[in-house]
Amino acid sequence: MANENILIIGGGPTGLEAARGIAELGYQVILAEKRDKMGGTPVSAGYAALTPDMRDAGEAMQEMVGAVENNPDIKIMLNTEITGSAGETGNFKISAKSNGNDMEFDAGAVIIATGFSHFDPGRETQKYGYYEHDDVITIVDAEKLLKAGNFVRPSTGEKPNRVAFIQCVGSRDRQIGNEYCSKVCCGITSKQAIEVRELLPGCKVFIFYIDMRMYGYWENEIYWPAQEKHKVNYIKGMATEIIKKGDGLLVKGEDTTMRRPMEIPMDMVILAVGMEPSEGTKQVADIFGVTKNKFGFIETIGGALNTVSTNVEGVFAAGACTGPSDLEDCISAAGAAAMKSISAIRKSAVTA
Amino acid sequence: MIHLPITNASERTFKADPDNAPVTDLREELFQLEREGELEVIRVPDNHVELMTKYGRMKKIPIDKTWHHKSCGQCGHIPGYSTSIFWLNRQFGLDYYDPTDQTSCTSWNYYASATSNPEAQAAVAVRNFAAAAEVGYFPLIHCGTSFGHYKEVRHALVHQHDLRRKVKKIMERLGKKLVIPEEIVHYSEWVLAMKDRIAERQVIDMSNITATVHPACHYHKLIEEDAIYDSEIYGAQRTAIVTGTLQALGINVGDYSSWYDCCGFGFRHILVSRDFSRSFSVQRKIEVMKEEVNPDVTVTHDTGCVTTLDQSQFAARAHDRNVGIPVMADSQMAALAMGAHPYKVLQLHWHNTDNKPFLRKLGFDVEKVWAEFQEEVDKIKSGEKEFMTWEDADKNLKK
Repeated sequence: MANENILIIGGGPTGLEAARGIAELGYQVILAEKRDKMGGTPVSAGYAALTPDMRDAGEAMQEMVGAVENNPDIKIMLNTEITGSAGETGNFKISAKSNGNDMEFDAGAVIIATGFSHFDPGRETQKYGYYEHDDVITIVDAEKLLKAGNFVRPSTGEKPNRVAFIQCVGSRDRQIGNEYCSKVCCGITSKQAIEVRELLPGCKVFIFYIDMRMYGYWENEIYWPAQEKHKVNYIKGMATEIIKKGDGLLVKGEDTTMRRPMEIPMDMVILAVGMEPSEGTKQVADIFGVTKNKFGFIETIGGALNTVSTNVEGVFAAGACTGPSDLEDCISAAGAAAMKSISAIRKSAVTA
Repeated sequence: MIHLPITNASERTFKADPDNAPVTDLREELFQLEREGELEVIRVPDNHVELMTKYGRMKKIPIDKTWHHKSCGQCGHIPGYSTSIFWLNRQFGLDYYDPTDQTSCTSWNYYASATSNPEAQAAVAVRNFAAAAEVGYFPLIHCGTSFGHYKEVRHALVHQHDLRRKVKKIMERLGKKLVIPEEIVHYSEWVLAMKDRIAERQVIDMSNITATVHPACHYHKLIEEDAIYDSEIYGAQRTAIVTGTLQALGINVGDYSSWYDCCGFGFRHILVSRDFSRSFSVQRKIEVMKEEVNPDVTVTHDTGCVTTLDQSQFAARAHDRNVGIPVMADSQMAALAMGAHPYKVLQLHWHNTDNKPFLRKLGFDVEKVWAEFQEEVDKIKSGEKEFMTWEDADKNLKK
């Protein structure tokens, strides 16, 4: 007899959407989240607004959490980490540590939705000074300042007059081994640039980029409005170093359009850090024997036609644990994983 | 106090993760080749300390049993540089070896695009390594150029079987083995490893001194994973070399915006485009330090850097440029802090830029210490003695 519980690991947007979908289809969910609250990175990192629709991130995540809380078909386990797995589709024996206590339970299928980590700019081979200068922050920090409605220079508390964003920090970089585009940073940067300009109309905002990658409708929704309506300056070029100069910062690099080196004074610099697999993703992949790609993300095996199946039957992966993903990708993959996991249990029940 | 929902730089702690290093650990490959009989590895002596490198791996720095690979430029232009290294070793009673059969590494010509080929370059390096191994000591490289080059040579020898085969053949004809050190260690790493012991024996208060630091390009830009970093220094975003030593001596290290730039030496440039070298050194380094920090001294750790930063200032001075920063090596600063004689040991009279104001700020009676040195020189002139001894050097040792 196949067990009809589906274990979902990770209570971020992907896990929440998969849980909601599976419960709606009449199956039982065990939702394990290692943090003490759900909502994933958008909540833990304090995102202000979603890209591209600018919806309040906290409000949107609360809506997703509300859809699974108090649902009798969804058992939520916070402060829980999966520690072991045995068995097969329809009959996985799961070990976990929940609130400090060891426990075991059964599951028919598993969805890994352990998300990503933001790239640590200290690993960047270029000299961006995140660990040296207060006024060098990341887009994650910028989200927090924007959410607080207090976008100021951390060093002085004063409003900045000149702000630069630097793209592809930890992405598209062969030197550090991250040879992939993190997909969302260009959109998030442009969104934040608009927010800064709306909050501080007198502040000049610059974006230094390799290519601006605006997927689908983001081109019209944020890229052109940023330039045409909000007067954000896009400069094609690589910043190589950020140094302290007087009371401000100096961005050194190359303006590749003008074919010349540049040294531009700034009050604040915001690093558009990319995505990397979270530690949780790597650990859970090892526990279930799921193959990772060379970057450490979980490898799905079905190519373009099946984006959630892994090399282990009955174990599925969805969202940013499989590679850089935007929120729309995560929600779509959650639906696919919900469907595939139910299908796996039903097939297992037929053959049992 | 500003309250924001983010951390400031001083609260951010970067932790290098060796598992995420973008390059492999060359030492593992080196030992594998040894197991396969391809070469022999010279082990770091037991008396060593471990310091963190750029990607979080630990590097073994030998404390004693060091074989001193000297620098052509230091010995030729600024001899007090290497004398200070030996003086420090003697003060701590360490067992070291000053070889007489070491050759030039020849890499200045190589980097200046002037001569040689990989086999010759690698054979010269291995011959020097073999000379160290034969007497049972571990190579400690004084020169930044040699250090960078030997790291590249070691890298090439590990990864190119054909090069190993050719070098092995050359070594056989010399009656030597193909040996490669477990670590390539620069003397400034030894000084950094010794910083606390040096500070314990410091007799000159340096807390009123502000210095700038120039990290040598060949130290931290070539085989960058091998340079020493420290999460307490520049947030592990720049090498900790020299800065860590100076801070241990109580010196205030001032930051300047062109710290990453070359000193101006540039290898090829100093040979074929010397005016450019001199101008770069003055305009991109010295004048920037002057304008942004106005230090009492600038400290570096390579032959070319000391000479270029120091000797480029005289022409600029003639043009009333904003120059005049004494230039010293970290070994000289460490020795001075422990009471070494400014002229007998540090031999600061070989340096070009006026360093007397710096010495006076440290409390030296410059005329008196010069007279002490002159007294020894007079004895050599008169034929009373052939050369100055260590005992002569320490006759006026500050305690």
